[in-house]
Amino acid sequence: MKTFTNTILLLVLCTQAFSQTKISGIVKDKKGEAIVGANIYIKDSYDGSSTDIHGTFSFVSSEEGPHVLVITSIGFKTMEQEVVLNGKAIQLSFELIETINKLDAVVISAGSFNAGDEGKKEVLKPLDIVTTAGSSADIAGALNTLPGTQTVGETGRLFVRGGSGFETKTFIDGMQVLNTYSPSVPNTPSRGRFSPFMFSGTSFSTGGYSAEYGQALSSALILNTKDKAMMDRADISLMSVGTDVSATKVWEKSSFSGKVQYTNIAPYFGIIKQKLDLVKAPSSLDGNFAIRRQINENGMLKFYGNFNHSNLVVNISDIDEPSIKDRVGIINDYQYLNIFYKDVLNERWSIKTGISYTNSKDDIDFNVENSLEHQKGIHTKIVLSNDVSDKLALNFGSEVFYRDYTLDLESAEGETYTQSFSEPILASFLETDIYTSKNFVTRAGARLEHIGLNGVWSISPRLSFGYKTGENSQVSLAYGKFQQQTENSLLRVNNDLRPEKSDHYILNYQVINTKRTFRIEAYYKDYKDLVKYDDSNISDPTGYDNTGVGHARGIDIFWRDNQTLKNVDYWISYSFLDTKRDYRNFPYSAVPRFASSHNFSVVYKHFIEDIKSQIGATYSFTSARPFHDPNQSGFNAGRTKNYHDLSMNVSYLFRSNVIFHAFITNVLGTRQIFGYEYGNQLNTHGQYNRRAIAPPASRFIFLGVFITLAKDKTFNGLPNL
Amino acid sequence: MKKLFLPTIIALIVFSSFSFNDKYEKAMLKNIELVYKAQTQEDFKTVLNNLERIANAEKDKWEPHYYASFAYVMLSTRAEEISKKDEYLDLAQKQLDKGIALNEAESELVAMQGFIHMIRVSVDPATRGQQYSGMAMQSLNKAVQMNPENPRALLMLGQMSHGMAQFFGSDTSEACGLIDKSLEKFETYKSDNPLAPQWGKGQAQGMKQQCSK
Repeated sequence: MKTFTNTILLLVLCTQAFSQTKISGIVKDKKGEAIVGANIYIKDSYDGSSTDIHGTFSFVSSEEGPHVLVITSIGFKTMEQEVVLNGKAIQLSFELIETINKLDAVVISAGSFNAGDEGKKEVLKPLDIVTTAGSSADIAGALNTLPGTQTVGETGRLFVRGGSGFETKTFIDGMQVLNTYSPSVPNTPSRGRFSPFMFSGTSFSTGGYSAEYGQALSSALILNTKDKAMMDRADISLMSVGTDVSATKVWEKSSFSGKVQYTNIAPYFGIIKQKLDLVKAPSSLDGNFAIRRQINENGMLKFYGNFNHSNLVVNISDIDEPSIKDRVGIINDYQYLNIFYKDVLNERWSIKTGISYTNSKDDIDFNVENSLEHQKGIHTKIVLSNDVSDKLALNFGSEVFYRDYTLDLESAEGETYTQSFSEPILASFLETDIYTSKNFVTRAGARLEHIGLNGVWSISPRLSFGYKTGENSQVSLAYGKFQQQTENSLLRVNNDLRPEKSDHYILNYQVINTKRTFRIEAYYKDYKDLVKYDDSNISDPTGYDNTGVGHARGIDIFWRDNQTLKNVDYWISYSFLDTKRDYRNFPYSAVPRFASSHNFSVVYKHFIEDIKSQIGATYSFTSARPFHDPNQSGFNAGRTKNYHDLSMNVSYLFRSNVIFHAFITNVLGTRQIFGYEYGNQLNTHGQYNRRAIAPPASRFIFLGVFITLAKDKTFNGLPNL
Repeated sequence: MKKLFLPTIIALIVFSSFSFNDKYEKAMLKNIELVYKAQTQEDFKTVLNNLERIANAEKDKWEPHYYASFAYVMLSTRAEEISKKDEYLDLAQKQLDKGIALNEAESELVAMQGFIHMIRVSVDPATRGQQYSGMAMQSLNKAVQMNPENPRALLMLGQMSHGMAQFFGSDTSEACGLIDKSLEKFETYKSDNPLAPQWGKGQAQGMKQQCSK
């Protein structure tokens, strides 16, 4: 009994007679500046304290013996130090090492505009694409309001920094897309095939892009699809140009979305007169689906498919003899499939891999002549990323592109001939991001390509720097060599043509606050190995070579503000371009027809709560574009008048799940001329007759109602417009 | 001797475990009050540090993570820049994930998830409404399902429905019904956990006033 009492006593004494140890000190960063609010404590105990404004701390612990002291602070690496607590005061000083938080660290920004749902430093959000007046909810249409693009109204495509439309390549989840645009009547704008709603993020690069992306001379449009859908829903849209129905079904680990769309512009053209002699107005049937499966915590498998059938027939009158009409019929069949998988393998490694398949058939009748253009492409790719440390990241991968192109021609006389090529391209790339500090990053990489068609090996280096000049501002510099196989229409005549090349040099300065963005970018592009050919005999392969050259230089300025005025968001873009090329059939160096020196646009969006509506307006200006005038001396010496367009839109939220949307282009009815076409024969005045290339109607008006049906009625289509 | 020994041991064990719990409870009660009272950045930082220490020592308790998450949400609502707001919400989410990993069945944690999503929406309603308002509703409905007595889950559910109804000029009575119900539960519901959250009553009363207008 006595021993027991003693034990108890001892126990009690022990707890009573705790020796108390005072621990104090100071916590600083590498530069010697005090870290405020750091947490210092004895591991596995409650004892500890926070640093004050001077970085000092002090606390008393009743623990004894050897312990571990932990020092933590957000933005710094956690530090641990062994201490022995024996009642003697301990004085310590710590220097914490900064961790590079990718969110507030410098980023490579030269040449690229990022748009995402979540991103903190994004320029445009997916929603912005749809609500931009004049964009007609088309991705390219909205991106055309950004600097670095030139409005080429008769194509609807993205022309970037003196590059032609084919120099912009589209990638969905990193996989290439061939024939991105739907077919259209000659000299009328085509639309992108892919709905902006599919994507959670868009990165539009106007130059200097990563070594991961190849076979694009001027620009890469990188679209990332949405992950797994969150809830069941069904949508119905009724539009002046057609209708669509879509549905989404969600399971715990997967989701399925499908959409069927039918568009037929005939009723609209019946009401609003067009300067087009349409035999059959453009109509199309489009179906797409997206399957998502969450494989594990980070692993996501995506399967996307798009099927499209469209056709149109138009009569195009002869310039010299308007009563003579050429009948042009276009039938396009298109399939695109994309399987993509991404996963985080462990703390350091992540993987992205996928395969895409494009199959596009254009069956074109020109009077009694027929051409069948068939392009098939497969792209497969694997990319591995390794975060070696918070200061070093590696990104590398390999890809195979395979393209099969055939053009079957049948002349009026019944003669047939075929032009074709099959082109495998193998490529590997390696890129590394080195953070010297959170304010300075270097991205260095290279891309190795082998083109099977002509056996050419090439190495394209890429190099960029980013330097953070302030909390929200930074300067970036980028350089890179880019190459791309030339257009199908040339390559099919001469399979041996080498890829066309361009070097990009970009200097960028940007300030991005949460609600305001300013960027200015200067660039120089040097084009080499452009394809030239002899105009007098375009079917002779020996008349083709890679001797063309060119350059483009300019300045792009962008300002966006959704802070100054309440419920108002606007952006202003200006691009200056100076470019000349000696390529294709040019007799000497001249400004190409798609290039304009000045492009200016203002996008304005205003949400008016009282009427539950968003109204928007976009004004675009494009300075004179060249055209070739055979009545004038010189090549491409003619100049159109300046182009103006004011487009407006309105979205009215009738109910949480019903939205009305309307837009009108060219409200003021300004005469828009993109260029001129000339006849082949001299008229009685000894001149060639001409015809303006202009929109088929001065305005385009769209009306639509979008209805969302979802189990959860608070869920609405609001952000969809 | 033997007669005495066993009860003493038992008493000792009970006592020590009681004192252990008592220490945790005491420390938590003190810090919970600090969370509710925190005004300045420093106040929050200090209490977050305290909670971090407790969480580190008590690896099986969800409450420190719950209150740390709540404190980060409060910091987020006080921040001005969107990027800062998001940063705090990310930290709140991290703490909540740890809490949920420790106690999947706690309705309060699921309600907190709804709260974080709700604040995410409020940062940028136009862009985030679609994704996060749906997710918030989902979490809040789940929280009510797990514990129909949880007044905070009912309140937030009511708040979200009220906002939507008001915006579209539709009937707010259903939303206000939820708020009435939450007020009722604020009076009647007593958790057997002394560390259970208490916040939200003032907010509910404020909402009630809006409803009676």
